[in-house]
Amino acid sequence: MNPRPWWRRLGHAGLLLATAVYCVFPIYFMLVQSLKSAEEDVFGNPLIVTRPTLENFEELFERTGQPRNFVGRALKRDYPFFVWLENTLVIFGGSVAITLAAGLAAAYALGRLRPPGYRWWRRVIFATYIVPHTILFVPLYQVVIRLNLDDNPLVLLLVYPTMALPFCIWILSAYFQNLPREIEESALVEGASRAGAFYRIVLPMSRPVLIAAGIFALGTIASDFTIASMFLLSEHNQTIPAGLGTMEVALDELLAVAGINLMAIPVVLICALFARGYVRGLTAAMVEGA
Amino acid sequence: MVTAYLLLAPATLLLVTVLAYPVGWEAWISLTDLSPLNDRGAVFVGFRNYVRLLTDAAFWQAAVITVGFATLTTLAKLVLGVAFALLLARPFRGRALVFLAVFLPWAYPASVSVMGWYWTLSPPIPTAYAAFMGHLKGTVDHAIGTGAWSFLAVTLFNIWRGSSFIGVLLLAGINAVPPELFECALLECRSAWRRFWLVTVPLLRPFLALAVFLSLTTAFADLANVWLLTAGRVVFPVIGTQAYWLAIKAGQFGAASALSLMLVPFLLAVLLLLFKAFDPPDEARA
Repeated sequence: MNPRPWWRRLGHAGLLLATAVYCVFPIYFMLVQSLKSAEEDVFGNPLIVTRPTLENFEELFERTGQPRNFVGRALKRDYPFFVWLENTLVIFGGSVAITLAAGLAAAYALGRLRPPGYRWWRRVIFATYIVPHTILFVPLYQVVIRLNLDDNPLVLLLVYPTMALPFCIWILSAYFQNLPREIEESALVEGASRAGAFYRIVLPMSRPVLIAAGIFALGTIASDFTIASMFLLSEHNQTIPAGLGTMEVALDELLAVAGINLMAIPVVLICALFARGYVRGLTAAMVEGA
Repeated sequence: MVTAYLLLAPATLLLVTVLAYPVGWEAWISLTDLSPLNDRGAVFVGFRNYVRLLTDAAFWQAAVITVGFATLTTLAKLVLGVAFALLLARPFRGRALVFLAVFLPWAYPASVSVMGWYWTLSPPIPTAYAAFMGHLKGTVDHAIGTGAWSFLAVTLFNIWRGSSFIGVLLLAGINAVPPELFECALLECRSAWRRFWLVTVPLLRPFLALAVFLSLTTAFADLANVWLLTAGRVVFPVIGTQAYWLAIKAGQFGAASALSLMLVPFLLAVLLLLFKAFDPPDEARA
């Protein structure tokens, strides 16, 4: 093939640059703000930071509510950020684990064991995405109170998996459906039990799809703000998104932006680490006879 | 068969507790005039709530805006997503970096990025860019109406995050297509535009259908949730916010339930059409 002319290569590079800037700029902007001192926030150039400082992050953990300067204790609240962080870790980790476990079981049943009507079962599960969430919290609150989970972070372990489950079940069961049966059957012939064949053969083979499902679950769960702030009312029960939502932005803007970054950076790092696996898993799920 | 049902139990139980029961409640309540404001309890009113909505001009305005928003953002997300996926499909130097950049808007947790996004576009007074943004906001609101700027912010955020997800999903789709098919097309057809419509789009059909559906549902969810944060609800009433206000401010749970269920048949119809495209193929055919 003849090499492409210079203007096409330039156009290609330009498109790539535009794509990268479009995607990353808002994130860059938030990162820059969080590294600013109060002085630079007011007088500096909004697009860059000349003297980066971590004081906003430190203050997030150390603020104890003493009066600072002329703004008194009454105005500047202290935030239990460590508690929020702990709650977030437990809730996110637990929700992803529950999603994967329940999703894997259901997907294996739908893609492999195929009870009668399995296709419609899977479609109905997927169709739960059309449920409008707007005022769902009214009946949901009844369920929560009946289960005695009022203002308890554990309620999110119940709600969050349902946000990611339909998609995870969909891709996992599509993968199991495409997986040639012979692979499993040869293990059964060798004398392995059904569970043994699943653990030693099917599970390792479906690792890419499991990674994709896990990353999708994490991304979905981490994007919720409404449910967390609706059900977690007292300060020490909140997750980071719910807690940040209660901050006085006008007074603590830099602190809040630092909180945003502290929440986002670990999630982004995990996602970036598995980004290739995510794509590979989605591909594997959809390919016929993978 | 018993094993299959046992394995399905946890997921089904979760979905029934968190979604099916509340939706059932909502459907029942939408046929009554339940309100926390009156003590006598709910009275069955049949389809009166629905009839009242269908004859209400405000409902139709909100419905048009909601559906229009979902359609437009979905189109924008599809165009951008396809562009990203096609850009990333061929190898070039630095592809991994550009791929990460495209992946970021989705990976960055929306729960907090929406706050950052909102504060960036409507910043607190002391920041250095507040004057600039305030000016922009004033101009847009003046030209279109109060609240237009916030609506624009929600729209841009939805497109920004959604195009990232769709781009990555479609990239996975392109990877799933055997490269020989694209090479074959390259020989058969010289026009890149025709090649795109005759080869790429049909091959990516299941992925495109999945993307359209997820984009529509997240558009509705985003509108309802984010809109409440942005507080600008003057010019652009949408179904989600209307239902929320009806329930919380006016205390009319019955009417609010009816309102929020109004779009379900529409989404269900779209989904049934799309199932054909993205249902996993049966191996029995082979």
